[in-house]
Amino acid sequence: MLAETASTVLAARGLTVASPGGRAVVDGADLDLRSGEIVGLTGPSGAGKSTLAFALLGLARAPFSLAGGQVLIGGRDLLSLPEEAARAVRGRDIGLIVQNPRAALHPMLDVGRQIGRIWRTHTGGDARAARDRAVEMLRLVGINDPDRRAAAFAHELSGGMAQRVLIAAALAADPAILVADEPTSGLDVTVQAQFLDMMWRAAKDRGTAMLLVTQEPGVLANYCDRVLTMEAGRIVADRPTRAHFAGRAVTARATIRSLPEAAAAPVVTAVSLSKRFPLRDGKAVHAVDDLTLSIRPGEAVGLVGESGSGKTTAGRCLLRLIEPTAGRVTLAGRDLSTLSAGDLRRLRAKAQIVRQDPFDSFDPRWRLGRSLREPLDVHRPDMDAVAKAARVAELIRLVGCEPAVAEARPRDLAAGMLQRLAIARALATEPAFIVLDEPTSVLTPDARREIVALLRRLQDELGVAYLFISHDLTTVAALCHRVVVMYLGQIVEEGTTAAIFDDPRHPYTRALIAAHLDEDPANRRVDRPQPDRVEGEIPSPIDLPTGCYLASRCPMALDRCGTERQALAPLAGDRTVRCWRAAELDTDNEVRHAL
Amino acid sequence: MIGRFVVRRIGVAIVQLAVLAVAVFFLIRLLPADPVARFVGLNATPEAYAAAKANLGLDRPLTEQFAAFLGLAGDGRVPGLLQGGLGVSWVSGAPVAAEVAAYLPVTLELIGLAFLVAILVGVPVGAWGALKPGGAADKGTLVYGLFAGSQPEFTWGIVFIFVFFVGLGIAPGPLGRLSPLTEPPDAITGAMTVDALLAGRPDLFLEALHYLMLPVLTLAFVLSGPIIKMVRENTGAALLSEHVLYARAAGLPARVVARDALRAAFAPSMTLIGVLFGFMLGGAVLVESMFSLGGLGQYAIRSILAFDYPAIQGVVLVISAISLAVYLILDVAHAMLDPRVTL
Ligand code: SF4
Repeated sequence: MLAETASTVLAARGLTVASPGGRAVVDGADLDLRSGEIVGLTGPSGAGKSTLAFALLGLARAPFSLAGGQVLIGGRDLLSLPEEAARAVRGRDIGLIVQNPRAALHPMLDVGRQIGRIWRTHTGGDARAARDRAVEMLRLVGINDPDRRAAAFAHELSGGMAQRVLIAAALAADPAILVADEPTSGLDVTVQAQFLDMMWRAAKDRGTAMLLVTQEPGVLANYCDRVLTMEAGRIVADRPTRAHFAGRAVTARATIRSLPEAAAAPVVTAVSLSKRFPLRDGKAVHAVDDLTLSIRPGEAVGLVGESGSGKTTAGRCLLRLIEPTAGRVTLAGRDLSTLSAGDLRRLRAKAQIVRQDPFDSFDPRWRLGRSLREPLDVHRPDMDAVAKAARVAELIRLVGCEPAVAEARPRDLAAGMLQRLAIARALATEPAFIVLDEPTSVLTPDARREIVALLRRLQDELGVAYLFISHDLTTVAALCHRVVVMYLGQIVEEGTTAAIFDDPRHPYTRALIAAHLDEDPANRRVDRPQPDRVEGEIPSPIDLPTGCYLASRCPMALDRCGTERQALAPLAGDRTVRCWRAAELDTDNEVRHAL
Repeated sequence: MIGRFVVRRIGVAIVQLAVLAVAVFFLIRLLPADPVARFVGLNATPEAYAAAKANLGLDRPLTEQFAAFLGLAGDGRVPGLLQGGLGVSWVSGAPVAAEVAAYLPVTLELIGLAFLVAILVGVPVGAWGALKPGGAADKGTLVYGLFAGSQPEFTWGIVFIFVFFVGLGIAPGPLGRLSPLTEPPDAITGAMTVDALLAGRPDLFLEALHYLMLPVLTLAFVLSGPIIKMVRENTGAALLSEHVLYARAAGLPARVVARDALRAAFAPSMTLIGVLFGFMLGGAVLVESMFSLGGLGQYAIRSILAFDYPAIQGVVLVISAISLAVYLILDVAHAMLDPRVTL
């Protein structure tokens, strides 16, 4: 580990980054990167991963500063080189891909120029050649119509597209080392999979050494050869990926949940629900299109799909938090659209929502006890102060928190703990139905698992029904009895969790499941063929395709798909699918893996 | 797309000016002032008073006066607002439009040069301060900013006259736009420096610049403070931005990184330039008077003191129209510089 071996292209020794107060944010980090090797760097947020990644380039984000150590690249210490020599190393020998690609691009220069000038700086080519190189790199990273895209500005790109631009820029000068700082955070699963596949191929084909900073176990398991774990500024473990995962139970789909008594009438039903947001020029965004759905007491239904599929809007329409354009919602047997304002308010107590970011659910100035009591103040005029206080204490206990948190304010708690209390608050009025809108997506993997366990326990104890909106299939599989897959505002497939995950029939569902990264290094995505994938990104919900909405991206599309709208049709095995070819698909002879 | 935007904005501006014209016309007549008495003097006979009143048209009902102002009624001798006229000055008897056209170029020349100087000085100094925080430029501008903003233009004008004319003798006295002994060039544009060049007289050009030196310095001195501060802050923010950090990580040379930051800082700065321009139209009044330049500001003061209603209306409308035009130009320039701005 101490000697620089032949294939080691970067070695950091005692690398230290300090805050203005002298606290070590990165504390004496040692690490080696070898050519052709992808090394994962993981750890809780705030552990210093991102700071370490920047420090490998000899940079520190203000107000931090480099406080010691060495970064050896090609036998020279980057940190003790004169500024001009260090600058020449950055971008040429070591490239960086950052977390927020749109912010990393200059807003007023087209992306072709930004890629080209990095290449030019390090190779000394002329402006024409730089433009050609930029277009070539954009094509290489799989961007359609690279000539036109080269003239685009950062704000015109989607997150996934901007991320590809950054890879194109990083690869342009062909550096031997790549540092990628959470490159897929905020991307949809299908885009994440496309992106990581491409990075993996680039590393393996070119022999690039790569440091991949990530919190996602799925990413580590599928793409990394070795995993470094950071805690509080220190690297506390450096192990091969399998060793990293050894001893952890592969998060299997925790026993398929048996459905509660089927006899009960649905607690919530939506019939032909649609929501259009009109635009100024007479067009409209078709957020939700003809959605029909029912959920029974004690049932958890997962609603999955990429961002832009309309799943959040659908959840809000169900609670009439936004007014649907068409369709009918029945809650506990009563039609929401015909209710008076007072009745609607009373019924609201029976249907609650938990939002994505728990910090949005609470007034930051209030103590949490007061926030938990608020729904009781509104809906339970019959309760006196003593009864309310008792109920608040009971709720806190119910979600497994200490009574003392009632005295805390939101900023005092971690996101995972706060999300528990957001759930407690939603339960205050004993609702029959809760919409959970991506409640785990801002949480760390550990906190995510805990929330899912909590939701399962609460459902078993209280019999409440859930609509669980998420793009994270692992959590959906662990929690839900049934899964609804949405694409561009429509349901494309609906069935039991087992049916959807083990035998998906709609090509989009298949791609979604295939793009999912199992937390299992023995079953890596990169080791198997990937027949089920959709290319590119979700089309605009304004100018809808004429035929099947998936036709432009579908690997199974035929001519007929481009002209014919598809209808949801029942298929054997308790499910419905919106694809005329669904019946042809047979999964027997394909490599399927247990999720 | 820009074409459509400009047409729409001009349409809106016309509506705004129309409302303003109505408002000014009626508000001015609500003032507790008696312009007739002002003209005939307090000791005039009632007959002379009535004659003067009839002469100014003030004996007619307000609606008729307004119709005449718009050019819908009256004797047709004087073009009204709808014909593009601003009426006739009660003081001089000359068309207000012609008088404004004579005075306005002086003011625009003064403000234009002051802006040029302030930007040429302010942008590099502000950028330098941001690139080398705590350096000499940064510290110097901090002191200067506090100092320059502490007094109005008026005070600085007097200080500069005292130092550069009385003390050092390197500036001409505050006596106008050229030496009283010099024959001015033909007034073509009305701006002395431009007319001198058009007349092929570089000597006059230099003389005109020399006479403008102190007024321009006075305005630019006050104007530079906010410009430096704004460039300093916007550049500072841009230097801390993600894209600058990324540019450094990509190994781009320091000068390219600095240029990136400046480019990002410039666009938001343009809004403030528009605000400062409106501000300067006010500041120019005092400076013009102090240096006897004979600009629109001086004309406005004279008209107000004389209760010359048509002239006051004309000046208000013209200044507003110019401000609206400047905002429009800045918006279009902003959109052309920054691809994120769509019109
Ligand atoms: S209808 Fe055609 S395009 Fe649509 S999902 Fe089925 S095969 Fe693909």
